[in-house]
Formats: sequence, C-alpha cells, structure tokens
Amino acid sequence: MSTSLYVAPAQVTILPSTPQLKAMMSIIRDKNTSRADFVFYSDRIIRLLIEEGLNHLPVVEKAILTPTGMEYQGVEFQGRICGVSIMRAGESMEQGLRDVCRSVRIGKILIQRDEETALPKLYYAKFPPDIATRFCLLLDPALATGGSAIKAIDVLLEYGVPPERIVFVNLLCCPEGITALLEKHPRIKIVTAEIDEGLNEKKFIMPGLGDFGCRYYGTNH
Amino acid sequence: MESKLAHHVIAGEGRPPWYKADGQNCDCYVVGIAGGSASGKTSVAQRIIKNLNVPWVVLLSMDSFYRDLNDQEQEVAARNDYDFDSPDSYDYDILLETITKLKEGKKVDVPIYDFETHKRLTNKHTTVYGANVIIFEGIFGLYDKKVLDMMDLKVFVDTDVDICLARRIKRDVAERGFDVPGVLQLYKRFVKPSYDNYVYPTKKNADVVIPRGLENLVAIDLLTKHIQRQLQERKMQSRWDMARINPPEELPSNVIVLDKTKQIMGMHTIIRDINTSRHDFIFYADRLATLVIERALNELPYHSRVVTTPTDNTVQGLALRPHIGGVSILRAGGTMENGLRRVIRDAVIGKILIQTDPSNGEPQLHYCKLPPSIQNFSTTDSSHHTNSNNNDSNNSQQNDTFIFLMDAVIGTGAAGLMAIRVLLDHGIPENRIIFLSFLAGPQGLHMISHAFPSVKIVTSFVDRTLNPDTLFLEPGLGNFGDRYFGTESD
Repeated sequence: MSTSLYVAPAQVTILPSTPQLKAMMSIIRDKNTSRADFVFYSDRIIRLLIEEGLNHLPVVEKAILTPTGMEYQGVEFQGRICGVSIMRAGESMEQGLRDVCRSVRIGKILIQRDEETALPKLYYAKFPPDIATRFCLLLDPALATGGSAIKAIDVLLEYGVPPERIVFVNLLCCPEGITALLEKHPRIKIVTAEIDEGLNEKKFIMPGLGDFGCRYYGTNH
Repeated sequence: MESKLAHHVIAGEGRPPWYKADGQNCDCYVVGIAGGSASGKTSVAQRIIKNLNVPWVVLLSMDSFYRDLNDQEQEVAARNDYDFDSPDSYDYDILLETITKLKEGKKVDVPIYDFETHKRLTNKHTTVYGANVIIFEGIFGLYDKKVLDMMDLKVFVDTDVDICLARRIKRDVAERGFDVPGVLQLYKRFVKPSYDNYVYPTKKNADVVIPRGLENLVAIDLLTKHIQRQLQERKMQSRWDMARINPPEELPSNVIVLDKTKQIMGMHTIIRDINTSRHDFIFYADRLATLVIERALNELPYHSRVVTTPTDNTVQGLALRPHIGGVSILRAGGTMENGLRRVIRDAVIGKILIQTDPSNGEPQLHYCKLPPSIQNFSTTDSSHHTNSNNNDSNNSQQNDTFIFLMDAVIGTGAAGLMAIRVLLDHGIPENRIIFLSFLAGPQGLHMISHAFPSVKIVTSFVDRTLNPDTLFLEPGLGNFGDRYFGTESD
C-alpha cells in the first residue's frame, strides 16, 4: 500500500485509485468478509481490470453511419484475443472476461511447485491452436514472487505468442513480483488494481488479501 | 419521425411540464369552494372538473382535515353531543401544509379521517402528487385566512337554507340511519348556528357566489371558462425552445464524462453504427452501463475504515457510506437497470415514465412509482405528522440515500428536467441526485445544470449537436430505446 515509496515501471498500469476501488479492495482484504461478498466484489474489480486490460489492445479508426444519417469517426477493435488462466485461481477471472468478450477462447495452464526442486513446474497447458496469432490476457489474481507467472509466459512464448501481445491481468501485485517478472519478460504489460508493500518470509503478499483462490472457491479452513 | 412515432406509442393523458425552464415549479391553480352543509359544494366541484376536462385535477375535501379528538371529546362524540360543525373541529395547520405543498407542486400525503374513532388513520393516507388544479371544498373552505391566501379563485355556493335542510334530512336518513327528529335536533343544535355564525359570514371572502348550487349551470360554465383561460396562460412550450439555445462550448462543471479509452471509443462505435445487430447493441450498451455506474459511484461519499487482512496486517481502507436507489426514466432509462444491479445488488429501483407528446414535442409524465425508502427524506417539520410513522422502518437510511437517475440519452434535457423535478417534489434533495446516461448533448447538459446545479451528471460521451427538428443528437445513435428493445420500424 505504500506505493509512494515504489514507482512501478512503465509496463505496469495500475487502476485509478478511486474511492470506490479502495472500498472494494477494503472488502476483499478484510478477513471477516463473507465468501459471498468476497466473490461479488472480486468479480466487480475483475470486471474493471478486464476493461482496462482490453484498453491495451490495438484499435483502428473506422467511420460508420449512425441512424441519424450522420457519419461518426469511431474505432474498431483490432486483433483476436484469447484468455489464458493460470489454474486454479486464474479461473476466477474467466467470467469477468466472458462478460465483456462473449465466447472468448480461453486457454489454461496448470503450474505447481515441484516438490524436489521447489521450482514452479508446468503440469498442463491447453491453448487454442492459433494462439500465436492472438493477443493474450494472462489471468492470475495475485502476483507474489512471480514464479508461476514467469513460467506461464515462458510457455506462451514457446507456443509462439510475441511477448508484446501478452497482458498480465491481476488484482494485487508486490514490487518483488513485478521486478522478477519484468526482468525475465520486459516486453509484456501488467494491469493491476493495487500494489502492496512486499512479501513476508512465507512469500505472502503483505498486507495482502490471503489466498485468493481459497477464499474465492471456499476451500480455506 | 413524429408521424411514425404516433403509430407506436399508445398515447394516454400525460402531465405536461408544470415547471418553468429553470426547473422551478409553477404554482398550481387552487379553487376553494365553501357553502352550507348539503348546499351542493361537491356537486359543483365535480361539475367543474368534468367541464374543465384537463388531466391532473385533484379534489380535496375538508372532511380529511378533521382534528383528532382526545379521550374526553371522544366520549362527548359518542353521546352525539360533539359539535362537528364548529370551525374548531378542523386542523388548519395540516390543511395549510397540505395545500401549500400541493400548490408548490410537491408530493403530499393527505390524511384519511376515521369517523368511527374520530382520529386520522396513522398507517394510511392518500398520496397526491402532480396537480395542475386543486379544488378544495368544505363548509369552512373560505374560513382560515392563511388558507384563503393560497387560493386563486374563491367560490361560495349559496343555496337556499330550506333546500339544504331538505337535502340533509334525506341524506342523513338514507345514508346515516338517522330518524327525522334526530336530524332536526342536530340541525337546530349545531348545523344552523354554525352556518349563521361562521359559514355564511365567509361569503364575503368569495370572489364568486353561486346561487342555487348545481342547478346554476350558467355560473358553473362561466367559472370553468375562467379557469381554463388562466391555465392556458400558464402553459409553456419549453422543449423546442431549449433545442434552439446555443449552449456555451465548455461543459458545466457538474458534468463528468468517462475517459475516452480505446474500449469506450470502440463500444461507442458499435452502438452508434446503423448496421449493428440488436444482439450486439444490447451487449455493448450493457457493458457501457456498468462502466457509467462504476464511474458514478466515485461521486459518492466514503468513510475510512481499517481492515485486518488474512495475514493479520491492517490496511487503511474505505467504505461506501450511502444507500443507493436507482430511478429509471422509462422507457430507455430502464436499460441501465442491469448495470446498476450488477454493481449494487440490492439497489431499490423506482420508475418514471415520461413520453414525448408527438404533437408538440413536449415531455409528459405518465407514471411515477418511487420506493418509499428513497422518498420522504427526513425534514425538520415532520414531527407533528401523525402519519409519518409508517415510514419509520426506513428512517435510518433516509438521510443516507443517493439517487442514480438513469436515462439512455440526454438530448434536450426535457425528460431529465421533468424527472428531476419529480424527485425534488418527492422531497429528495438536489445534491443527492446523480443523473446517468450513455450519451448527452450540450443543450441538455446546460439546461439541467442551469436548473439544478447540484445534480451531478455522469455520461459516457458528449455529442456535438442536437438537431433542432428531429431533436436527435448528432452524430448520435438514433432512438436508443427502439434499438435496445427492438421496436424500431423496419
């Protein structure tokens, strides 16, 4: 929250810190928030994140005719997109994407920590076959150490997606994660709602909001 | 366009504007009718209403304003010894308040008097809103000086007392189960002295005296013509004049326009395109609505709040303070309700139907239903209202409610102006109203801001011009409601 000490790099877009966004973040950060409220307000923030994420996709000018018979100089969305969610927590953001991009194609990546090496390991990846020609919105609610996000982007690059076509969308970041991610993949973009102080010794974001996936899916104790 | 509209809109009698172009209410026309018991006051009033043939005439009876009797008086009344014909048996404070509010165009709750318990009902009242003409009748209709001052026309029905007595005997025997000696006794004890001492002297307060009551058709017709002429003089043609005003280049400071992001521009391109399918039109309109509502939420007050996160850290956060009520201006404003519910799950929603009169382009109010929780903002003078109790359950949130008034397009601003006027007339403070739209034009924005500077307006786009002939914004998006609901002609 002490974002004043930390200046995010140019690749990072933070949602405007409006009172409404702060109020919603207050709700999902609160450990006493019910699951119903957690899901509802997370979904609302995700909706705003997706809308902002889409603003990083290109448009081309287009003139159209309105029903009044007048010409209007507008723009047209350019390029096909595809969502890629990092399982499991990233799947919570899929509905938000579908709400604004009907019948969008969604790829999935499962990355787990390897018990032997303690490094993130790819377990599963399933993408639309033409993913290399699409703009990718990579979905994961929180960016902590950046381990799985880096791995996920590695995979996307292997599948031929140019890094400048990847927008990583998340609710909460920390400076450590941003630094690690952009060091490895400097040409991607990040869209986030808030940047927290940093990580604690257990690699949790502080002050954070807990385990997003557990709270969203109700699997916490 | 107008001729086509006429085929689609079921034209009922809407209420034309009752306020001036600056949004201030015009007084409504108040007629007071007094006269002896059974002199035919009500019949004369009804005849005037029939002859007037204008919508939004309210007939107010003095019977609604009897005073609550205390226990002692109740006993007297039970013995039939209470003098209900005395001028003291009425509550002139509530009467004056009611007529004053009605005259100002405000919503009022007219009490209902229970003749069994001799008290006003505490949990019921008749809500009256939107009168062009009020006709107030009662034996003491021209008695109270302050009430007299509110009247534009004062009438005394001067029917021969013998005829009045004959009618009274007939009525009380048939309808109230009295016998003739009982009626006569009452008449001698209360009715006649009251008439002689209090009612008849008010004749000198009248502008017009009608001898013979209802039989006097000539007098009633003359009266009607006079009222009609006065109403005609007050009538306005506001909307088309608005369209011809050249508004200043700069938008008023209370207008908030969404940032022109790529997505907003792209969505606007789609909903403006004449070739966009309805499927897409609805989808992108809904998406835009959500963003407009989210933007509007930032105009509300928040208070700070400390939260503890699951990692047991504390965060300085914020919480939204007020309750939010939506009010959609039908038909097209209803298209924003989904967006509102998506963001505020439990928002109460009121509806106001305003249609444009195809013959003159004027807005007309057809229907208004507002949830009780967004009306009756507590004001200082509600303490002596016996009927204020029925809203107690909402009192806690009354002072903390903001209204999101929703319309698709603000063109001339005429419908918005009318809708805001309706909200104000229902006691909602001006600075609690935030007016939302997909598209707006400079004329309408300036019109509304000029009339109601404390109303904030949030829109996703502002177009350059308003076509003075079609009253459509240009380049615009056509008729939003038709395109959303699929009622455009092919």
